[in-house]
Amino acid sequence: MKISTNWLKDFVTLAPPFARIAERLTLAGLEVKKCEALTQPADTLFEIEITSNRPDWLSHWGVAREIAAVENISLKNPVVDPDTGRTPPPGWKIHIKDAAGCPYYTGVLIEGITENKTPDFIVNRLLACGIRSINLVVDITNYVLLEVGQPLHAFDADLIQGKEILVRKPKQGEKFTVINGAQIELKADDLVIADSERAVALAGVMGGKDSEINERTRNVFLESAFFNPGRIRKTSRAHQLSSESSYRFERRVDPEAVDVGRSRAVSLIQKYGKPRHISAVIKAGEKPQLEVKTIHLRSEDVTQVLGVEVKPSQIALILTRLGLQVKQHGSEAPAVSNRERGGSWTVGIPSYRPDLTRAIDLVEEIARIYGFENIPETLPARPPFSVSENPRLSLERKVRYFLSGAGLSETVTFSLVSEDGLDPKQDLQQAVQIVNPLQHGLHWMRPTLVTSLLNVIKKNVNAGADSIQIFEIANIYGAPPASKHPVEERTCAIALYGKKAAQTWLDAARAVTFYDLKGYVEAILASAGCQELCVAKIEKSYFAGQSAEAIRLWQTPLAFLGEVSGDLLKKWDLKEPVYYAEISLENLVQHACRTPTFKEWPRYPAIERDLSLVVKEAVKSGDLMREIQGMGQGLIREVALFDLFRGKRVPEGCKNLAFRVVYQSPERTLVSEDVQQLHEKIAQTLVQKYQASFQS
Amino acid sequence: MGFGVTTMKDQISRLENEAKEELARADSFETIESFRVAYLGKKGKLTELFKQLGTVSAEEKKSVGAELNRLKQWLEEAVEKGKGNVPQANAFRETFDETLPGVQPPKGSIHILQQTIQEISAIFNRMGFEIVEGPEIETEFHNFTALNIPLDHPSRDAFDTFYTPQGQLLRSQTSTVQIRVMKDRKPPLRIIAPGRVYRPDTVDASHSFMFHQIEGLMVDGSVTFSDLKGVLHLFLRELFGAQTKIRFRPHFFPFTEPSVEVDIQWGKGWLEILGAGSVDPNVFQEVGYDKAVTKGFAFGLGVERIAMLCHGINDIRHFYENDLRFLRQF
Repeated sequence: MKISTNWLKDFVTLAPPFARIAERLTLAGLEVKKCEALTQPADTLFEIEITSNRPDWLSHWGVAREIAAVENISLKNPVVDPDTGRTPPPGWKIHIKDAAGCPYYTGVLIEGITENKTPDFIVNRLLACGIRSINLVVDITNYVLLEVGQPLHAFDADLIQGKEILVRKPKQGEKFTVINGAQIELKADDLVIADSERAVALAGVMGGKDSEINERTRNVFLESAFFNPGRIRKTSRAHQLSSESSYRFERRVDPEAVDVGRSRAVSLIQKYGKPRHISAVIKAGEKPQLEVKTIHLRSEDVTQVLGVEVKPSQIALILTRLGLQVKQHGSEAPAVSNRERGGSWTVGIPSYRPDLTRAIDLVEEIARIYGFENIPETLPARPPFSVSENPRLSLERKVRYFLSGAGLSETVTFSLVSEDGLDPKQDLQQAVQIVNPLQHGLHWMRPTLVTSLLNVIKKNVNAGADSIQIFEIANIYGAPPASKHPVEERTCAIALYGKKAAQTWLDAARAVTFYDLKGYVEAILASAGCQELCVAKIEKSYFAGQSAEAIRLWQTPLAFLGEVSGDLLKKWDLKEPVYYAEISLENLVQHACRTPTFKEWPRYPAIERDLSLVVKEAVKSGDLMREIQGMGQGLIREVALFDLFRGKRVPEGCKNLAFRVVYQSPERTLVSEDVQQLHEKIAQTLVQKYQASFQS
Repeated sequence: MGFGVTTMKDQISRLENEAKEELARADSFETIESFRVAYLGKKGKLTELFKQLGTVSAEEKKSVGAELNRLKQWLEEAVEKGKGNVPQANAFRETFDETLPGVQPPKGSIHILQQTIQEISAIFNRMGFEIVEGPEIETEFHNFTALNIPLDHPSRDAFDTFYTPQGQLLRSQTSTVQIRVMKDRKPPLRIIAPGRVYRPDTVDASHSFMFHQIEGLMVDGSVTFSDLKGVLHLFLRELFGAQTKIRFRPHFFPFTEPSVEVDIQWGKGWLEILGAGSVDPNVFQEVGYDKAVTKGFAFGLGVERIAMLCHGINDIRHFYENDLRFLRQF
């Protein structure tokens, strides 16, 4: 909201520089975002930002009230003539049919307005605050809104049918044409101002086309009322209509300002519009009262919360400056300077401060005016206590350091995804949906990160990258039928694309493979201390058939990985394969061994023997390794696959696997002959069991 | 020809003295090498003397020759030894190119938002705050009711939320975690809770519908607003440097009273950096604490905002676009 300092001067004496006042206000919680000097006419504008608990600041008078409190100076009230008319307008009636929506409604009939020129000072002040001049009556209602914060509405009295004002809920299917010409269908909970025939205003939000003030208007019915804040808010949101009026009504206007605002407007219209006749005020309902009118405050309340002792006399002074009625308890004798201690008060709350309901609210007021900058800084006493670390967070940190150290870049992508690339049955059946998505189709809480990382790969490919190795640690979400609340699982997703490493003057470039990915996954699982892992083929909608696997520890799934399907590559327009893995950090942390125990290594020398076999493609290398280990009579320390090739002299449908077997005894030095014998026996067994043959 | 012999022997001994002096001055591989060339090279001084051996009489040839050979051997050994003593040039001498680039290890990176979270968490960790987490899909109770945010009130405008069909919502602030922890544990508490939060804001240079927050909470029987000031000032000095100037400005949050916004001095102006306040007694009541004797403060800060300030990042969208050219800068 824009506040004109010229206008403020009607209520308080302002000593320049204004920037100083702006800062004082800001440091008291009334934030002045900008302080801007105007010329012609000279003025200084404050651009203020107001928190939702302080609608009483939404006017010049309200801001002046705060300045008076902060600067400890006196405040003038708006100039109001005593209500002029003595006779009620003949035949006019107000009926409140919905007292919950409108507890208090007042109006005045002003007839025979002769002048229609808005005085310059009003035009200028409105303009400074960003409002264009329209005509005298409308300008005055806007002026009063900005001055005392009370929204008013002026109807062309001749367009009100039956001299009757009804405040009621809409009828079934009732329609209403808003001042801007749009027709809306009213909702059951809306509140309308109606004449005997139809709705003439959407109460507190916007006037109607049919009854608005125009150039020919001479007779005006001026409305000033209090509407229920919740109802106005609901209507304003339901119809997506908001106005300066609805903004104030939904935050709650000061019930006392209903009369002040109306009288102020009538005074101005009388002065500048020169009407022939002004009626007495007609009213319906009663001004709503504050729920809490007094608060009991003790000086300990202040000290305990703020950690600083504010003198009782100062507390009382601050509250008084804020316009509160302060009544001290106990002895009436004035406390003696430094010796004063303790104090308690009954504090009366003015109608414009419904936000003050508890002692703590007064403590905040005292702190504001006392000045946050005057409250000392202290550090709380800290008895020793344990600050434990969540083991999953420490696992996450290790994984993050490992992968980034290995050359992968961590990403942060949105948890909300569209169904693009995901299978409605396999992936989305148990996914969590969002009913009010913001953007085109981002209405799923992702059940996997695969599509998010494909997006990142695509974006980087478009930017010219040829080696994209990324990971993300984030939640995946699901709503399994058994659980009441959706489940979130912390996951580490890895995706590899393109070159493993760029070509250098020493090394050639090489493309990433599935086994690079598997290496990362295995290394993470191994460094978490997971051994004896089982590997099994799996299928997922987004993986190419027959090329994905899951890694389990006993029955717990720890990770899965695979090559992204050709369909998805096509969809994302990617030319090279993408390898993708997810590691469940949630599950891994359950099995992570955090305290490795030392194992002695054998002291006797090892003997290495190679074993190169040609087997059918269907034979699994893992089975062979387990078999070799199993036949080792406890003398094999390690079996490693060091070569795998096909073609050349290897027959079609077969592959050559070359293993290095390390023989080592924990108890003695092995002799070459022992090893040779055992090695040959193993070889022979494999030949028989797996129809293997030797290849030199 | 006696003169000739004397001359030869004299020349040899002069050469020897000269060589000794010169060698003593030779302190680098290069000077020793040029010394070797000067004496032992094809046109070297000793080589020249050898050439004169033919002019020496037959009977003296033997003794002069022996003398020359002795000097030659001595010179060769001296050169060898000298080369061993000076800074060595090795086999790379000719081929070594000190401007060739090193072979870089693969360059990975931790996302700058994550780094920022870790840095902030570490500061509070050192002050005795425990890092905790809570779910992102939340209930109305944890996100609004328990935080004293009334239904259908303008104070809720700041907290628009995404909903699931079952009526759960995506948390719009990490304050939900303080509710969960307080419902779960008894004071004293010192926690911070980093995580993702969601608000249906249209994405632009400074807004995103998903971003990161860190919520902090300290609760015990006696913590005051002045403790809040002390702890937050200490934190901001740790994060932005010892010279950091800050100011506390009254504000409004439904879940704290008094509420404050903290600004840091940035250039000529002030920049809002976090929101905080003493925990509102209504919040303590919601979680089942005795509001008469429990005191505490809470604060919340936006990770993106701090990362943008610290690193001069001008557009929030960079964080989620994950261009490797961006990621690898940090």
